[in-house]
Amino acid sequence: MTAADAAAPARTDLAIPPRPRTWPKAVVVGAALVAFTVATTIPAIGGVEIDLASIARNWTNGLDRIGQMLTPDLSILPRTWQPLLETLEMALVGAAISAVLAVPLSLWAARPTNPNGVTRRAVRFVLNVVRAVPDLVYATVLVAMVGVGTLPGIITLILFDVGIVVKLVSEAIDSADAQYMEAGRAAGGNQTQINRVTALPQSWPAIASQVLYSLELNVRISAILGLVGAGGIGRLIDEMRGFYRYDALGTIVLEILIVVIAIEIASNLLRKRLR
Amino acid sequence: MTATATTASATRLAIPAKPRRLAVRAAGWAATVVILLAFWDIDLEWDKIAGLPADLAHYGALMFSDPNWSMLGEAALQTWRSVSMAWIGAILGVVLSTLLGIPAAQGVGPAWVRLPLRVIFAVIRAMPEVLIAILILTVTGLTPFTGALALAIGGIGTHAKWTYETIEAVPPGTAEAVRASGGSLVEVIRWGLWPVAAPELMSLALYRFEINVRTSAILGLIGVGGIGAMLTDYTQHREWDTVGVLIIVVIVVTMVIDAISGAIRRRIMEGAKVRGVERQH
Repeated sequence: MTAADAAAPARTDLAIPPRPRTWPKAVVVGAALVAFTVATTIPAIGGVEIDLASIARNWTNGLDRIGQMLTPDLSILPRTWQPLLETLEMALVGAAISAVLAVPLSLWAARPTNPNGVTRRAVRFVLNVVRAVPDLVYATVLVAMVGVGTLPGIITLILFDVGIVVKLVSEAIDSADAQYMEAGRAAGGNQTQINRVTALPQSWPAIASQVLYSLELNVRISAILGLVGAGGIGRLIDEMRGFYRYDALGTIVLEILIVVIAIEIASNLLRKRLR
Repeated sequence: MTATATTASATRLAIPAKPRRLAVRAAGWAATVVILLAFWDIDLEWDKIAGLPADLAHYGALMFSDPNWSMLGEAALQTWRSVSMAWIGAILGVVLSTLLGIPAAQGVGPAWVRLPLRVIFAVIRAMPEVLIAILILTVTGLTPFTGALALAIGGIGTHAKWTYETIEAVPPGTAEAVRASGGSLVEVIRWGLWPVAAPELMSLALYRFEINVRTSAILGLIGVGGIGAMLTDYTQHREWDTVGVLIIVVIVVTMVIDAISGAIRRRIMEGAKVRGVERQH
């Protein structure tokens, strides 16, 4: 520093420009955040009542439950195999059906593969609406419609998966290199031919990767779908919770943990290969 | 195809054989078999599937042909309760995840801190929020506060992971400069990492809120209140015209919040549009 300064022939005064005045804006943004936060904590208008006293009073309850869960009752294991298998099958079937549905829909929702703005926006809008409804809300309503069982669960998973897979894949197609498609168009192909011969082979890795991701999420979701009667191991969770069998609950949670982490690892390995 | 014909006299352009990729094919067949087995074993009620379109049309008409708009006020109150849960849960969750996530980043905390933290994050990631809420409600009861706490703790799993991944993706130059001029660990974090990572982290925090808005509706199903609880009640009483209103409210609120939050996130990540100023880098 000093060496460079000394070497400079003619000294000019380097005036440091004044710091930009950012604080008025920071104050406004901060005040807005604080106001919103305060508004969310007023029970009278529906906000959350922050009840620290109950934590001080009852925290031992929570520790007891966690203690019970940490000493799992393994005698429940034989009863869990069938529901666990059902959960995995639901996840797999849901992912498979949604993969089939997602391929044409993604091509439909991406700009390079569907130049028609009207149908593209229509597909995107419908999928935005589908994505805006949380998974268990679908399950609750569908169970009331078609009855208890795996069917409402699978439909829930399909709706959920199609929503995210199509969003992620169509975004991948949007940002992908469109040169092949241009070549296809220059060679005189129509849109269907271009999509089939250029866009589709180019997007398989993205589709496969997102379907695997949705399978991961499915295992997690289908584990709790049973809470509302949509099949799988959640049914057992609900039952054990009703009997306050937290030691059995610990076993089930442990099982879900192992399965979810195993599938996550397997899917990560596969997805690395796909890139 | 015609191109090969014209140049055939000079050189024969043989198209190379397609790669066989036996392993990929075997994996594909294995996956197909497993999926077919799942279909066969899962005991799909085919008679129900046949009646499905008619069912959906029937209930769809019940829900949306004449929605019971008089419930809108109650629905708005419960929605605000859900949004509050999501917001408080996001604030608590983001603060906890930032505090836990920074030491879990490579180059910040030592290995004996990093690895246990990452295991904890992975365990929480695998736990559905509903289960976390079932545990917490033994402490704070069936209240929206339970929902907020469940969202906060459940959020740590993914959010802390995003936090340390963001910190690790920060180019090491600034942190190194602070260290070289004698900065302590805290000073490295404050001046080397935080200014670079902050926009991304804030954007992720807003994204956490968007996710929480969806999840808070789910938590309502176990009875912590909000729009999810209301929806369960009316579904169980099969008051479909009200259920229709509630579903419309959920969709509109979620999409509006996503749009606002998305706009703010873009503003944070891309900065303000520069007007009338010649800017060099």
